[in-house]
Amino acid sequence: MLGFPKMLHPLHLFEEGGVTYAADIEKARVVELSAVMVDILKLAETQTDTAIVQTLRASYGEDDIAEAFERFAELEKEGLLFNRGENLQQSFATESKWRKLLVVLPGIRVDSLFDIETVSAGTNMALSYMIRHLTKYADLHFAGSQNRKIADGVYEVDIGVADLIRLRSKIGETYYGILTLHQDHERWLLPLYRHPEFPPILVQNHAPRGHGGQAINSMLRHYAAMRDCDGFTAPSDYVREFYAEFVWDPSFFNTLPNGVDATLFKPMEKMEAKQEIAAAVGDDRIETVPTVGYLSRVQSEKGASVYVKVAELNPHLMFLIAGPNLGRYASRKLPDNLVYVGFHRREKLPTVYNAFDVYCFLSMSGEETFGLTVLEAMACGVPPVVPNFDGVPSVVGDAGLVADAKRFDRDIATLVSYPCPIDVSEKINTLLGNTETWQMFSERARERAVSFTWEKTASRIVQVFEELHQKKKLINPNRLLNVFTPAQPLQEEQEMRYRSLVLSMNAHYERCLIRDAVYPLRVEDGLVLSILKDHTPREVESILAEWVDDQTEAEAILERVQGLIDGTV
Amino acid sequence: MVSQRRYRLKQHHTFEQDGRKYVADLETSDIVPLKDVEWEILSRYESQTVYQIVEGLKERYKLTTLFEGIERLERLGQQGSVLSPVVEAAVPPTANRTPKLLVPFHFTKERSALDYVTNLNRYQCVTHLAEFAELETFAFPEEEKVGIQDLDQVRVRNIASAKSGVLASPWYAMAGYDGILLFSQSLTDDLLYYRIPDIPIVHCIEGAQRLQHVLPRTLLTLSAFQSPKDTWVVKASWMQAWLAELGMPMENVRVIPDGIDVVEPIGDKALAKRYTAALFEKPMFLEKPVVGLISGFEPKRGAAWISEFARTNPHLAIFVYDTMLEPHYRHPPENVVIFSADDEETRSVLPIFFQALDLVCFPAMPGTPLSIVLEAMAYRAPCVAMTKYGMPAEVADAGVAVKSDWDAFGNFHVSMTELSEAVNAGVQPSTTRTQCENTAAAVAQQYTRKKAAQELVGVFAEGSQRKVNDFRTESTLFPPVFCRRYEPDTGAMRTCVYRLGTNRYDGLERTLAEVLGERHTPAEVASVFKHFGRQETPPDF
Repeated sequence: MLGFPKMLHPLHLFEEGGVTYAADIEKARVVELSAVMVDILKLAETQTDTAIVQTLRASYGEDDIAEAFERFAELEKEGLLFNRGENLQQSFATESKWRKLLVVLPGIRVDSLFDIETVSAGTNMALSYMIRHLTKYADLHFAGSQNRKIADGVYEVDIGVADLIRLRSKIGETYYGILTLHQDHERWLLPLYRHPEFPPILVQNHAPRGHGGQAINSMLRHYAAMRDCDGFTAPSDYVREFYAEFVWDPSFFNTLPNGVDATLFKPMEKMEAKQEIAAAVGDDRIETVPTVGYLSRVQSEKGASVYVKVAELNPHLMFLIAGPNLGRYASRKLPDNLVYVGFHRREKLPTVYNAFDVYCFLSMSGEETFGLTVLEAMACGVPPVVPNFDGVPSVVGDAGLVADAKRFDRDIATLVSYPCPIDVSEKINTLLGNTETWQMFSERARERAVSFTWEKTASRIVQVFEELHQKKKLINPNRLLNVFTPAQPLQEEQEMRYRSLVLSMNAHYERCLIRDAVYPLRVEDGLVLSILKDHTPREVESILAEWVDDQTEAEAILERVQGLIDGTV
Repeated sequence: MVSQRRYRLKQHHTFEQDGRKYVADLETSDIVPLKDVEWEILSRYESQTVYQIVEGLKERYKLTTLFEGIERLERLGQQGSVLSPVVEAAVPPTANRTPKLLVPFHFTKERSALDYVTNLNRYQCVTHLAEFAELETFAFPEEEKVGIQDLDQVRVRNIASAKSGVLASPWYAMAGYDGILLFSQSLTDDLLYYRIPDIPIVHCIEGAQRLQHVLPRTLLTLSAFQSPKDTWVVKASWMQAWLAELGMPMENVRVIPDGIDVVEPIGDKALAKRYTAALFEKPMFLEKPVVGLISGFEPKRGAAWISEFARTNPHLAIFVYDTMLEPHYRHPPENVVIFSADDEETRSVLPIFFQALDLVCFPAMPGTPLSIVLEAMAYRAPCVAMTKYGMPAEVADAGVAVKSDWDAFGNFHVSMTELSEAVNAGVQPSTTRTQCENTAAAVAQQYTRKKAAQELVGVFAEGSQRKVNDFRTESTLFPPVFCRRYEPDTGAMRTCVYRLGTNRYDGLERTLAEVLGERHTPAEVASVFKHFGRQETPPDF
């Protein structure tokens, strides 16, 4: 049984070639219907399963009706014909002309973003905060498998990833932008860039490298495929600088710093915090000895090994580790001054941070674009020591100390740097060696941290979408026509020369240059003109980077051909 | 250049719901919202050409709106929705009626750059063609009408001024013509017509002496534009042989010599020689055998060569026809006169000189006007052809061939000894000479303007029957994304291709050839790869 009555999608029934079809406007799909299915649909919104069977029994066999029910069940599972979930049409209709963003996060449960205690990893944590603050600027519609209201201005809508391309016109009309998250192995996002109907697509990127080059290559694929009106966000300028070595146009990387919940993460009575942690782990040295803190997964790429060495170098200090577990380090002999203080719910984290005198962030991973925990520690007035690589130093600024690190020229097995234990050690002791110094850094840390707000992050997203919309307006179709032809070699030349010719008439037969004629171009220019018909300037960049030795010349070619296209629209 | 991709309308259903228009593709089950203009276009798509659709709707929608509507529908077709690409162009049935041909008159702009006879031949061609085809040309208000008004046989289609600045001439050429006849040589205006799908183009290629320096370049350019339905018509068999030597595709080249007008002789050869001697004040035309040299030489080298030939053969009176050299060749050897028909008057006197000839000698090369050679031979003058490709078919059995060599830069080589022997043998009375005289007269009679016009119409019919199989459909199955790829083991960056759908990397060269091949001919793609010194990997079409 299907559970009739059910709300139907807007449908248009029609016959063609003796077959009846239902056009599901909501899902932009046509479904073939048998006669009994047509009659069931007519009753579907008003009658129960039993009533429908009784009504139609006179006209159809029970098997036919049962078969139709089965078919409807399959279609409903595919999201067709029937509204899945709540009737949101009324909610949408009463809303203002507020901007709507379609948020597509395959693999992430929407509800988890609104239950902070269920969120793990810095990326998801940042996403959760950012999403919640973004509702102040736009309604968020999460692509999912049913229609429901999650919170004010936050909905799940029955638009699956597989529906996106088919629904591109509707999405383009409805949404101001698509917000999504970069994942190395995604398969659904790249094809979207090929469709001009979609609104700007903004891809959040939190892991620009690592994973044996997979992250870089995935980013390079997206960079190449993106339309001019799409872009990435990254938490720090470092990502843009990093990719400037790989691409010609790093403006596709929009800096979008994370924020911190400065009302939750704030300085507390330090001794009380230390006492609470000391009591919890049964080690009262925490109350008396200066403490250094580490809050992360206890794994090599997060710098756990370095942290252990720093602890060994500093027996006069207490080194605390807060994380899900000690992992493989649980079976190792750890220095006596290193204490595992357990895993804590988010609401308890301010206490944990406040129990630290210095926060030590030693990640060696190529994924560190920001260091959210560093900012949280800073918001608690805990000065950090971080290694000098990637995005974290830019977050710390002058509110902490940056220790030397060996920066690898390329990543190796996900590691990109090795923080120098001695320098880390020295920096920790510098902070702890003088009360006034510590106090100064503590105040700076808090002051700097509160300048990173999720409010700013959310408003910056809207600003980036606005910028992308401007870019969308500037995109010009390339309808110029050109050919390639051998050119007669000069008498002394043995080799045939080649050239391209651009026509003064475009594909719409419009006169786009002065007279009915053709104009000679260099082959390089003609090649770019041809490729730009169906491919992006970033793809052209890839080709020129391979075929034209001089990058300055190659960039000039791309610039002038784009100028020709823009100028002759 | 590859023709525009065309599409057929798939099984579909159009409908309106809540004030919006939609089309349902019953093959893919997609529903696509349509704008009003797209709705209208779709309703006409199956039965009308793009031209008819636009012309039919242009009063209600802006041109840009119409073209963008067509573009959007065809983009859907590329993506597999609503329309599907036509894999092979349909060959239209042969029409049993007078063909309607468009003759753009751009070539009239070349008039001052070409010699009088070449221009005359072009006008004569159009005039005689009107017997077998309905001819029409365009008149744009901004263009000068010189040349158009001269020909009553060609109907003039005036393009209204309000529209003429917007759309280029080829747009108007899609209004139901059976073919387009192009004459322009060095101008590039006519090239745009090659963009029009389905309409066969016949382009007459002149081997005129004044075009020698640009001819290879023009031909190379034209070859990039030509599609299987198009044909080049050359005026002499040696032009065809030369094109083959240049590597041009020969399937679409036809030889149709210009027709000639043979006027009644003024009397016998002796009288013609007396007239010639009197007109040039050169008694040698009465005293010596008269040899006509129809020159197509590069002028500077030609002057030196003619002088050498004359000095090697002082016993001959040499009448040179050379339109470029004539005004400049001030001090030829005593036994040489040089002449050129530059206007109606000089053209009318030319037959007198031809009647005085005992032999016609010519280099079978671009620049030499075959029509002048044939006319010169028409009064029973055998020929000596200096030829690279054997005796030209047009004058076969009317003389002898002497092997020569030449290149596109004007260099010309022939054994002066062999040539002199052939010429001197040719002017002597003999049975062979008599046979050649008879053949020469008969050969020349074959080339009438009417026959040339008929053949030309036949070429259009052939072109329209050729299939244009340059529609590509498979290549977009797994769309390529050209991107850089970082190699973590070496740290190097290289360009490759990421295929959507298979999600695999692919090679750059192969894919680039494939992508270029969607809009360009294989020859064009090869040009790009050769320019960059790259090995082209043929795409998997």
